[in-house]
Amino acid sequence: MFLATQLTHLAPVDVAILVLYFAMVIFIGFYVKGSTNTSEQFFLAGREMSAWIAGLSFVSANLGSLELMGWAGAAYQYGILATHWYWIGAIPAMLFLGIVMMPFYYISKTHSVPGYLQLRFGEGARAVSAVSFAFMTVLMSGVNMYSMALVMKVVLGWDINFSIWVGAVTVAIYVMLGGLRSAIINEVLQFVLIWAGAALIPILGLIEAGGWTNLKAQIAARMGSTDYMHMWSTLGSFNGNPMGVHWTGIVFGLGFVISFGYWTTDFLVVQRVLSANNLRAARLAPVIGSAFKMFVPFFVILPGLLALVLLKDSSGHLMQLYPDGSDMVLHHGMHSFNEVLPLMMIRYLGPGLLGLGITALVAGFMSGMAGNVSAFSTVWTYDLYGAYINKKATDSHYVSMGRWSTIVGMAISVGTAYLVMNAASIMDYVQELFSFFIAPLFATVILGMLWKRASKAGGFWGLLSGTAASVAMWAMVYKDKTNIRFMILQPHASVDTIMRVQAMAANLYRAAWSWLICAVVTIVVSYCTKATPEAQLTGLVYGSTIIPDDGSTKIYQKPVFWAVVVATVLFALNLWLW
Amino acid sequence: MSTPHVDPSTEQSLSIWFFVGILTLFSGLIILGQGVYEFWHPGITVLANLHPAFWWGLLMTLFGGFYTINFRPGKG
Repeated sequence: MFLATQLTHLAPVDVAILVLYFAMVIFIGFYVKGSTNTSEQFFLAGREMSAWIAGLSFVSANLGSLELMGWAGAAYQYGILATHWYWIGAIPAMLFLGIVMMPFYYISKTHSVPGYLQLRFGEGARAVSAVSFAFMTVLMSGVNMYSMALVMKVVLGWDINFSIWVGAVTVAIYVMLGGLRSAIINEVLQFVLIWAGAALIPILGLIEAGGWTNLKAQIAARMGSTDYMHMWSTLGSFNGNPMGVHWTGIVFGLGFVISFGYWTTDFLVVQRVLSANNLRAARLAPVIGSAFKMFVPFFVILPGLLALVLLKDSSGHLMQLYPDGSDMVLHHGMHSFNEVLPLMMIRYLGPGLLGLGITALVAGFMSGMAGNVSAFSTVWTYDLYGAYINKKATDSHYVSMGRWSTIVGMAISVGTAYLVMNAASIMDYVQELFSFFIAPLFATVILGMLWKRASKAGGFWGLLSGTAASVAMWAMVYKDKTNIRFMILQPHASVDTIMRVQAMAANLYRAAWSWLICAVVTIVVSYCTKATPEAQLTGLVYGSTIIPDDGSTKIYQKPVFWAVVVATVLFALNLWLW
Repeated sequence: MSTPHVDPSTEQSLSIWFFVGILTLFSGLIILGQGVYEFWHPGITVLANLHPAFWWGLLMTLFGGFYTINFRPGKG
């Protein structure tokens, strides 16, 4: 994946900043242990987080270092189109979660997304969702762990075993002691560290490039076209843009299904908002998170674009980066796309600042592991152990189970990290596996929340068939890559079009189809089976629930007002970069 | 799963923002110190002549100092 020789080394001041961070997170774990004695405190941080803290934690749980480096590399490779994954691919869904869905999650007093499915569709839907989620989170945690170890080896020359074990033990200690509360505090710290550690790169990069207008001109000159700097005007055809994606894939696959699926039903992020201290905070938290999310491309996408015209090799020529695993990377010592952020970091950040940047990356990886493990521990304890194995234990027993499952979750993650180390392709499969469950889950949850007629059998069979369809489509393309032409409804597509679509857009169309299949099966089965009595839907479904007043009186206190502000700014930014 | 009564004496008292302040303050001071050092021993990174370590360290120190003082324990 990366070059085998290290890029730089840390000075004593850099090590001091890194040690300061580790000391602080361990201290926080021991400090908050005293206030995590009940299951509500351990798994939901006592439901006492303010809108700001829940909001920052919500956005931070997704701000992992793997994503930051990956999307900076994607910006170098595909241009400004990568921004779609931060804007249309996140913000509308976050606003929808806050304004439409959060009241149902919050007033149903569910502890988890599988828990909501149990209330709405019964045990079958919960079991499918909980098992797949628990399985995937520990695998994802292991992928995060291995990625951190690999980045530290490439950037700093650290031993992979050392990084895996230091990261695993640190995260295990602070999540086992402090549960979600500890994870949330560390996510807020990580958020601040990432802004502090990464914001200087685009600032100095823009100064060096001579400003935004000059940057655009230089990129156009290097690439021979202005396609790299347009977000929408090149999406009219699969062949018209560097990513090989059509606007339908971006709008329906990414903007609707994948984004809404991830941000509104992935328990890892929803759990952060469930920790809010009242309904207004729970609705406002995703809106606050979305406002910050909108500016993440500033320190992720912009460095990738700047690297196109500023990164130079030792002879002063513009540097060319290559795909991971390519011959140029593996055998000719060239750098890969994913190394663009560390390379830009090394270009501008001297001693001290480099330590801050590396600490931000480490914090991003560790909070990614902590987020996965804390969500795993909650779903395991509430939706699997408490639901099927031991239903009548005391509250303290469940807290104890939460702490032990954290340790077990980390141990499985370490095992996954070593598995990935020996077979790197597993990493790609794990990431794709995750997308199998998200799109159909979103169809099940949204129909459950907004449609009273959705029956228990409809929810269960819809979720199962949507997930199965997603796996089948993946297998179909895995077996014969040209089968992708059926997913994009172009059975006679040219080989060139098929090759372009595979690179990035296949996930978008698979998600859209699996969502649709789940929705259709849910609707058909619901009409063929008995409806759930209205009385059982109170607090769970739109139309059967009176949403309580959230206490906001003035317009600037209302979450919907700020959602409109964020949506307006998003619209303006897209127009500006059309 | 029921939720038992919570003993208030076990509740934490340090604000999350205090932790944010402390971490930013100390990191800022370390970077500021390095920035001052670099006035006499210039760095070799691109645009080191703009003294980014000094200015960024100063900004972080002020930000961290504000949060540390504003959310210090016992302030209420």
